[in-house]
Amino acid sequence: MATRRTFLKLTAAASLAAPSIASAQASGRVVVVGGGFGGATAARTLKALEPKLTVTLVEPNPVFTACPFSNNVLAALREISQQQFGYDGVQKTGVLLAQTAATAVDASGKTVTLGDGSKLPYDRLVLSPGIDINWGALPGYDEAAAEKMPHAWKAGAQTVLLRQQLQAMDDGGLVVISSPANPFRCPPGPYERASLIAYWLKIWKPKSKLLILDSKDTFSKQRLFQNAWAQLYPGLIEWVSLSQGGKVTAVDPASLTVVTDFARHKAAVANIIPPQKAGTIAQKAGVADRTGWCPVEPVAFESTLQPAIHVLGDSAIMGGMPKSAFAANAQAKVCAAAIVELLAGRKPVDPILINTCYSLVSPDYGISVAGVYRPDKGVLADIPGAGGTSPLEVVGGFRGQEALYASSWFKTITTEVFG
Amino acid sequence: MRHRLLLPVLVGALLLTSPVRAVDAGPPGASSCTGCHAAKRIPDSVIPRIAGRKASDIVQFMREYRSGAWPSSVMGRIAKGFDDQQIDAIAAWFAAQPE
Repeated sequence: MATRRTFLKLTAAASLAAPSIASAQASGRVVVVGGGFGGATAARTLKALEPKLTVTLVEPNPVFTACPFSNNVLAALREISQQQFGYDGVQKTGVLLAQTAATAVDASGKTVTLGDGSKLPYDRLVLSPGIDINWGALPGYDEAAAEKMPHAWKAGAQTVLLRQQLQAMDDGGLVVISSPANPFRCPPGPYERASLIAYWLKIWKPKSKLLILDSKDTFSKQRLFQNAWAQLYPGLIEWVSLSQGGKVTAVDPASLTVVTDFARHKAAVANIIPPQKAGTIAQKAGVADRTGWCPVEPVAFESTLQPAIHVLGDSAIMGGMPKSAFAANAQAKVCAAAIVELLAGRKPVDPILINTCYSLVSPDYGISVAGVYRPDKGVLADIPGAGGTSPLEVVGGFRGQEALYASSWFKTITTEVFG
Repeated sequence: MRHRLLLPVLVGALLLTSPVRAVDAGPPGASSCTGCHAAKRIPDSVIPRIAGRKASDIVQFMREYRSGAWPSSVMGRIAKGFDDQQIDAIAAWFAAQPE
């Protein structure tokens, strides 16, 4: 016993002393803000690639609620608890967890201010705060309005609220989904949501209708979605494009009215997916530009506005890559490897990244879009000839197979990031 | 005093035999693959594991996905983003990962 105790003490001493001894290897302090698919992946990948780094993940919520598959919760195909993941697995990898909000960043002094006022110094900072709702961009839509007309674009209480409203709705009611202009989190998400709500309405409230009011003329996987709607939910879903007058210009939460330039739609349930911007801490750190999003270089995703701050995931402008959980995870692994190189005084090599997004049109009907990306002329650009959507015409169990791939992907990524 | 002299030697020894071994990031593209083809074992996943598979098998699959000789859902679209050299490097890296 005595021997073992001595050994443990020495191991602790060794790990404390290690950074000064191993001067040839990367050492240093990396702070990661935001414990979603991007931030949690970045933190644990940094620690895996270079165990001598001190990596602190700053995240106020003890539990993460995942957006992918949260549309299944709306359709009562899953429970919200199946979307939730704690940070024990991340901490077991040696990542330090600061369970508090990051309230400010001093880019020149290289510190992050935490909720209790203390300052956390860093050599490199990773910001992966996800989106914030751009309150004020849509007249009538504020935080109080979101309690009447949920956005459900950050999974959690909003998701549960929208599901409760759907369940309380009388058969024959009108469900309105407002879809924003680009860019926004999860480009196919509003249309997967429409699909799965339609799936549920068809079974439980078959006299109801679903109206999508869109601020765009085209959307992700459009023909695949529209073909599937005609086949699975004929007459149930109506999509109004921008040029048909679909842009929502105001909402009235008291009367559940959704207003466009041409009509006022009285909804039984209104799901307003509003304009978005990078998470607040990105604005405070000075890494967001006038668009509200964060420009980065395409190799290590370092901000082009502030040195030593890297931005990942939904909050960053990633060229051709969409704002998806798969993309955030892929970017985080590339960013972590690049930071290890930079801290060791080496130049990171040009990466290649993949994105794959599955959408469910029904529980056993999946469609996908994929892309492969590399740095080109200062941005992450699509590699020509690669990527694209599922074929329009398929035989056999193709759509069912893609639905299975979708759920396998979710199990895989949540285990890799939080397990 | 004796303890202080001994410590650096022990520290050196511990570093050499450290149980926490750094993993390597892999060649360009490899880390994205693990978004679906995980390092960990995932119960009830229909996505095949590729860690520890023979490099020549991975190369053959990727080339056949790319050409369309082997039908696929998403892999054909992804494989078209990689040239032979990049596929060889990724295959060698996955082959060296624990099965």
